[in-house]
Parts: sequence; structure tokens; C-alpha cells
Amino acid sequence: MSEQTGKQLSKEEKDARFEAELLPVLDPLYNFAYRLTLDEDDANDLVQETYLKAYRFFDYFEQGTNAKAWLFRILKNSFINEFRKKSKQPAKVDYSEVEGYYNTDDVEGDSGVATTTDMRSESVQDLIGDEVASALNTLPVDFRTVIILCDLEGFTYEEMAKILDIPIGTVRSRLHRARNSLKEKLEKYAKTMGYNS
Amino acid sequence: MESKFTEMYQKEPAEENGNGCEQVINLLDLMVDGEASAEEQHFFNKHIEECVNCFENHQKQKLLKGLISGHLKRVIVPESLAQTIKAKIQETI
Repeated sequence: MSEQTGKQLSKEEKDARFEAELLPVLDPLYNFAYRLTLDEDDANDLVQETYLKAYRFFDYFEQGTNAKAWLFRILKNSFINEFRKKSKQPAKVDYSEVEGYYNTDDVEGDSGVATTTDMRSESVQDLIGDEVASALNTLPVDFRTVIILCDLEGFTYEEMAKILDIPIGTVRSRLHRARNSLKEKLEKYAKTMGYNS
Repeated sequence: MESKFTEMYQKEPAEENGNGCEQVINLLDLMVDGEASAEEQHFFNKHIEECVNCFENHQKQKLLKGLISGHLKRVIVPESLAQTIKAKIQETI
């Protein structure tokens, strides 16, 4: 509505800049959406919605500034506004599967299951990845978010504060609590894999 | 007398426990995330040279971060998504 007042780009210029600056973020953005929604269709919708909003407000985006952080922020807000309502639950996680795994693990670590396994083999690496993913998925979405932003996407605390609209101090304490919680969840698993200290 | 004693006793843990361990624990995230200042790094590194506990905690924190950055699989973006986005934009504008 008020777009006439913004600095005007021709449609061609706008489209070209949009493609050059924002579309390269598609991969990390989709991954972030997936880690938030834990559903491929929802991630798809969320990313589409994010890009539509970004296009609509593209005149407000300053060229050369952090496009990735800007898009992550839009996506995070869309997620809070719409997807959270939709799925009352913080995340669709198959808890029974996770529980099942941990329960069978109660046998105590003296069975030495993992000691003969070559930690470098591809299947073991995959296994670790799966385990990390399921532990992460059981965290509340706020915790999951800071871990993804920091450890997977490499955002700085300052960027995270902007994306999430919270003070840096809150970023720090949330990250701290998120990691403690993740650590707890992974501890049992770590023991069976010989990461015991 | 008694109250003075308990007062002192209560004060003790916070200070005595220290040798900087508590500060070092607070710096763990900053260190693994590369957010610590030069001064904080210096303090941290000096401390873990002498403190086995904190040294181990640092190792664990690095390991945890590495598990996410190194082992969490990235999902593959559906091939059609970029096209769908471009098409939708043209439709709605």
C-alpha cells in the first residue's frame, strides 16, 4: 500500500536483486524451517511464505547487509505467528520412538556393544547424526532454535539477538540452557559409543 | 559469635571454591563460539592449563558443538522449491 513512497526499483531490477541476494539463502533457510517444524511440507510452506514476504518488503532491505539474517528473522516470525498456532505442540516428534531407544539402553554400559565398532566408519557417522538429530528434536523449540542458529549456521550472538528479537544476554543464557539439556540427552548415548569420560 | 561464624561460613563457598572455576564455566560457551574477548581468552586458557576439571569441561563443550556442526545431516531442498517461489512471486505481484 505504502510502497509508492519507498525508493523505487524497476521490476526487473528488483527481481534480479532478489534472485541474486536472497535466493542463495534457500538451502540454509529450508534447513532452518525443517528443524523448526520437523515436517517437510510445513518447511516448504514456511519457506515460500518467507520469500513472498521478503519480496513484498524488499524495498526495506538494505543492499549488502546481512540477507541471511534478515530472511532467518522473517522466517522465525512467520513460524511464531502461524505455525505454532497450527500445531499447538512445540514440535511433532515421535516421542515413543525416542523413548523406546533410551529404554532399551538401560541395560547399562558394560555390554561393550560399541567397543568393537570403528568410530570412523560411515554407518557409525550416520548413526551419530541420527542420534544427535533425535536428541535435538526433543528439545523445546526455543532451545532447538538457538543451537541451530549458533552451531549449524554459525551466526554470532549479535546476529542471533537480532533474528530472535531478544537481548544478547538472553541469547547467551538460552544457549547455555539449551546445551545443558542437549548434553543430558546425549549423555547416555555417548556412553554406549565410548565417548565416556 | 555464632551468627558471625555462619556468616563467614556462608561466604566461603563462592570465593574459596573459585580459583576462577566459576568464571571459567561461565566463559565456556563464549570460548567455543568464538565470542570471548582477548582478555577472557587469556584468562580462560591460563586457567585450563592448571585445572583438569575445567580443561575437561572445555573438551566436552567443544565435542558437543562439533556433534551438531559435524554430524547433523542437512536436509535436501526440494528441487522445485526455487521455481515455485519465483512463480508465486510473479502471480501475486
